[in-house]
Parts: sequence; C-alpha cells; structure tokens
Amino acid sequence: MKEKEILPLHFLMLIPGVGFILLFIGSSIFTTLVQSFGLFSITGQSEFTLENWKTILQARESMDSLFFSLKMGFLSSVGTVVVAFPIALFFRKGGTGKGILGSIIKVPLFIPALVAAFLILNLISYHGMVNTVLMRLNLIDEQLRMLNDKFGWGVVFIQIWKNLPFVLLIIMASIASIRDDTIDAARNLGAGYWSILFRMYVPLAMPGILVSMILMFIKAFGDFPIVSVAGPIYPSSMAGRMHIMATIYQEWDQAAVLGVIIIVTAFFVIWAYSRLAELVKGEG
Amino acid sequence: MAKLRIVDLTKRFDEVLAVDKLNLEVAEGEFVTLLGPSGCGKTTTLRTIAGFLYPDVGEIFFGDKIMNNVPPNKRNTAMCFQSYALFPHMTVWDNISFGLKMKKIKRQEQKKRVSKVMEMLGIGELAKRKPGELSGGQQQRVALARAIVTEPQILLFDEPLSNLDAKLRVQVRVEIREMQKRLGITTIYVTHDQDEALAISDRIVVMDRGHIEQVADPYTIYRAPETSFVAGFIGLANIFEGTIVARDGNRYTVEAPFGKIVIVSKDTKVSKASKTVKFIWRPEDMNIYTDGAPNRVEGKILQAVFMGNITDIFMDVNGNKMRAQTDESRKLIAGDLIEFSIPETAFSILRR
Repeated sequence: MKEKEILPLHFLMLIPGVGFILLFIGSSIFTTLVQSFGLFSITGQSEFTLENWKTILQARESMDSLFFSLKMGFLSSVGTVVVAFPIALFFRKGGTGKGILGSIIKVPLFIPALVAAFLILNLISYHGMVNTVLMRLNLIDEQLRMLNDKFGWGVVFIQIWKNLPFVLLIIMASIASIRDDTIDAARNLGAGYWSILFRMYVPLAMPGILVSMILMFIKAFGDFPIVSVAGPIYPSSMAGRMHIMATIYQEWDQAAVLGVIIIVTAFFVIWAYSRLAELVKGEG
Repeated sequence: MAKLRIVDLTKRFDEVLAVDKLNLEVAEGEFVTLLGPSGCGKTTTLRTIAGFLYPDVGEIFFGDKIMNNVPPNKRNTAMCFQSYALFPHMTVWDNISFGLKMKKIKRQEQKKRVSKVMEMLGIGELAKRKPGELSGGQQQRVALARAIVTEPQILLFDEPLSNLDAKLRVQVRVEIREMQKRLGITTIYVTHDQDEALAISDRIVVMDRGHIEQVADPYTIYRAPETSFVAGFIGLANIFEGTIVARDGNRYTVEAPFGKIVIVSKDTKVSKASKTVKFIWRPEDMNIYTDGAPNRVEGKILQAVFMGNITDIFMDVNGNKMRAQTDESRKLIAGDLIEFSIPETAFSILRR
C-alpha cells in the first residue's frame, strides 16, 4: 500500500492545537525569559542586563524561597504517592467499603485549593480538632504547632489531602494494568509481601508513580494559595516571592527571574525523576 | 520431588461449586494431566495446589506434610502460566534467577543454575532481552526455565501451550515431556486439549462440573472410557443405549435402536440385574462390511467429508445418527447406501 504523503494542509490542521501552545504558552515562557534579562520589560524599557539575575541570586530571601519551595514540592510529591499507593493497592484487591471509601477520597478533588486550605486550617490549627484529640488522649502535653509552622508541615499535609484523589486516579490506573498472573508468578517463586511490593508493584507502576510525582511536584513547587494560608511567615514560596516582587516592589523583571527559575527547576526535576525511574525499573 | 495427595478437596465460589470432593494421588515424578472443558474445576484444583486458593473442605498433602495453610511462596511449587506471566520489567536472566534470589541462593550458585537451565532449553542468547522482545515460543521456554530452575517439589502447568501456534505447540509439548522425564519432577498439567493430554501424560484425570469422571492412562481413557462424558469429550464416539437380550459371560447380545449387535466387554461392568446397557465405539473402528463380519449396519450417507487419508462419514441408520471413518478409496457421496461392520471387541460399556 502506498504510504500517505504529508501535505502542507496537514500541518495547517495542527494550528488550533499546536498554535495555541506556541502562542500562549511558548510566547509567555519566552517573554518571561527575555524580561528576566531586561528586554521587553513591562515598564516599556528594553535593555539587556544581568542585573536582575545578580540581584535575585544574591538575595537571601530568594534562595530561602527556592529551597522552601523545593522542599514543599519534594515532600508533597513523595508524601502523596506514599499515601496513595497503599490505597490504590487496597482498591485493586477490592473488599468491603471500597465504594464508600472511593467516594470520600474523591471529595477534595472538587474543592478549590484555597477553600481546602481553610478547611484543613481548622483541623490542624493550634486549638483545632487534631490537637484537641491528641490532648484528650494524653498523647501530647501541649498543642503542636502544625499551622504556619516554620518547616511547612501544614502545607505538606494540605497538599497531600488536596491532591490525593488526583494522584490516586493515576496510580490506580497504573496498578490496575499489572496482571494478576504476574503477581501470582512472583508469589509462586517465593516472593513474600515486601518483595512483591518493591520488586513487582513499585517498578511496574513506575510510569504512574513518575507522572504523579512530577505533576505533584510542579503543583506544590509553584503553589501560591496553600502556602499563603498555611505556610510559615518566612520564607514565602517562590510563587509568593514572585507576587511580592511584582506587586509590592514593582520589580517585574526580577519576578521574571524567579519565574524562569521555577520553569527551569520544573524541567530539571522532570529529568531527574525520569533518571530515577530508570534506575528503579532495572533489576540487578 | 514429592508425592501429591488430595483428599476430599471442595472449593466453592459463592453459589458455584467449582470442585466437589476431589480425591487424587500423584506419585513422585509422575506426569498427570487434568483435562476437561471450561468450568470443570481443573484450574481451581491447580491453583489450590499452588496455594493461590485455599480449600473450603479437604486436605492437600505434599509427601506427608499437609499444605492447606502454607502460603504459595512457602510451598516450593513452580507454575507455568497460560499467559507465561513473565516479569515485563526484568531481563530474561533476571526472570529466571528471580526464584533463586527469593530463596536466597548464593550468587555464584544462581549463576551456575541459570546458565545450565538456559543452555538446556536453548535460550542462552536471550539473557539480556526483555520479555516484550521475545516470540511466543521463546517466552514459553523462559517461563519453563524460570519454573524448573528453582528445583520445585511439584511443577504446575496451566494451559501453557494455548497461545502457541499448532506446530510450535507440538514441539514445545515434546520438550516439556522430555525435560520432565529427565528431571523427574512431579507434574500437574492442566489443559482442555485432548490431543495434548493424550500425548504428554502418564495419567489423565478427566473432570466435569467439579468432579472426576475417570482417572487412567491415556490408552485406557481413549479405548475404555467409563462414562459417556469421557467417551464424548475425548475423541469421536458413537454412544447408544440398548436392551440386553442374551448374555454369555462377558458376551452380550444387545437390542440397540439401530439393530441387534453383539458386544464382547473387556471387563465386567454390567451387573447381572441390568437389563439395559450404555455403550460406545469409535468411528475409526468401523470397517466396510465384508461377508461374515460381525455387527453389520446399513445406513444412508448424510455427509461424506474427504480428509485425504480417510473419509469422515455422517450417516443415518434406521433413524439413528452414526459416524464412521474409513480409508475406502472410492469416492463416497451423500445419499449413497453403505454397509459397515463393528468388531465385537470395539465396544466399551459405560458406567453412566
């Protein structure tokens, strides 16, 4: 059969999809990049300079925000996957309560991030339900500071709660694609529970885990509302820092530098997770 | 290697009785095939032996040890799955050595055993490939290598050849049998393919609706089926019921729906009180009638299918459908009248 020729018309038909990406996403990334070097500035000026980069990279607040956001991104992505994985395994196995649990877990999916942050805020605040229960059970002597804590545990907790259903859907699909025979074969060859978990389920579900972790990382790394409500007074997140630089200090070009750092970090993390996944998938 | 003993095994899935009081003994090194149609309980039995399912009632012994509550990873069985169930993320080498790793066999010993089994099955050059890069036959050999490398007490096969083409199926089944004989591993093999069962087994267990119909060697299963289910499931069969009009030892004169015949039974399954008898004979046992031959039947050919070395004939004998196979050289066509004789010893009397 004759192979179909690709005509210019075929490329034209791609315009609605590819054109949108190039115009609105590609161009905005490009604009942010050039603005970070002082070109096409929002103030109307356009002069190449490395001053914005120098200022941001030398400012302690910026670096603290970067490391804080990296920490939030990493802990939230790992934490969500760690919580979601056993639940996904439970759903694979089936059992009583599966339907009810499935419905409850999906609830955060329909709640906006800011509202979610306020809901959890009530739960983990100094006089919230978690502290009250722990005190009543005599498990702690004084209330734990989980909200606006310096480390950011409150943010991680809310990120996990908010994004669990989303990650769960991806990991469940990944785990569902693992054949029962494969697991039975491993058991038959002497693999116990932990061997099956780490030698079968984890590597075989790695594509789903990887996608979840990348998406979760990017969401948490670039988060603004949850850190604003439940994060520490200092440092702010990268997105928060951008907001401060642009709207309070009116330093739009320096905000663009922070934006570029967020984008580059996201790409680097995607690359690093891919490498990690390759290593985990290999069986030595 | 271990003797396998199953006592009163019963397994139910909700309202469905999958296996009903099954009793079976398999000797050390024996190759036994569980044969039957879908839903007869053969795979349930196999999975219960492997430990993937637990019996509702009954016991499973490996040697003298009861295995009912022993989890699959502690049973030292090895199973070849219908889907092969190779680990897709591992190389062939890692697939085969997986069981040895789980049993914490020393690395040096692992290497020795994996190399040996790969050489034995002729898959040495596939070591670094992933399952997705192998053909069906190669995957089957890897699955087999993975199973035998652990030197299991009992080797289990769940329809392992059903995904292979006809030619490869014959080749691999010969390899499986040769390898099993060489290693002497007690083997339970599940299939619904009667040819495969007849070709490969020391004994065949024919199952239907959760219970055993007959256990015997392939020759006996084919030549002397005990029930109409076994007779009908294995090979082609003419099954009829008739009235005994005279008996002389194991020689019976029977009034069958298609005429009077004489049956010489090889055993004495017919009680003295019985007035009726159910019997079968194989289409290939029928001969074109010659003067003086016993049990003459005359029928009208409904359909004659020429198959090269034989002609498969569907005919009507006094309103009864009958099937015959003959190597008659002349061309037979529908509508022709034809006469056959059935040797007196070609019949098997059925229990039910």
